[in-house]
Amino acid sequence: MKWMPTCRETTKLASRAMDERLPLSSRMALRLHLAICENCARFNRQLQDMRRLFREETAARDDAAGLAPEARQRIETELQKMLGS
Amino acid sequence: MNALDAHTWLADHGDYLFRVARRQLHSDELAEDAVQETLLAAIEAQARYAGDASPRTWLTGILKHKIVDLIRRNVREVEIPRDEDGEEAVDSLFKQDGHWAEPPRPWGNPQTEAELGQLRRVLDECADRLKPVMAQVFSLREVAGMETEEICKELGITPTNCWVLLHRARLFMRQCLELNGFSKAGAA
Repeated sequence: MKWMPTCRETTKLASRAMDERLPLSSRMALRLHLAICENCARFNRQLQDMRRLFREETAARDDAAGLAPEARQRIETELQKMLGS
Repeated sequence: MNALDAHTWLADHGDYLFRVARRQLHSDELAEDAVQETLLAAIEAQARYAGDASPRTWLTGILKHKIVDLIRRNVREVEIPRDEDGEEAVDSLFKQDGHWAEPPRPWGNPQTEAELGQLRRVLDECADRLKPVMAQVFSLREVAGMETEEICKELGITPTNCWVLLHRARLFMRQCLELNGFSKAGAA
């Protein structure tokens, strides 16, 4: 990698940094680019916001639909077979 | 010790298990399969239930394995994009020289119940719009919080494939949220 990654390369590094510890050279390149590029710094914050939103909003809500009646009936039938009653 | 009664599981926990599965599988049918397989497996495993977790927690633990099983089977049926495939879609986000074609805009900060409700709808819609495997890998990582290494291993895909899927999913989710009214109007 060149001493300064492009925005495109930076998004890849920022994304990967969400999943694992980057090698030192990549970490430095990422930090350097984020320090001078407002767009990528914003992208990086939004990746973290997205993760937080997904975890919070998924855990918080209980409004999504439940099992459809036909599916419930089908599963009930399978369970009864297994329970032998 | 919590007592187990398999006869009430579907009535007591069916909808809950379905919702958890639906959020990660992005498919009603697969989520229904996950519930059924979970309850059948739970009946078989009743004897091993230690009683220190609530039945719902115990069932949810079984469900997690079933979800990964279903995704694994699903992954086998679809083609995993190679590193170079699908880069065209990423190409449209950047200029030739690697700069942003359309720089990210600032996001709003939803606070009211109405705003949060709208946000949840957009999160769901955008996730459902991803290609199935991409959506599933994204959810295992971002919603379920599984480690990338674990996801790759469970799904039998290479770490490189995993990162490519995750990176593209993030790029598209971010763009989708922004295009669907998540950006702060008029902000700098």
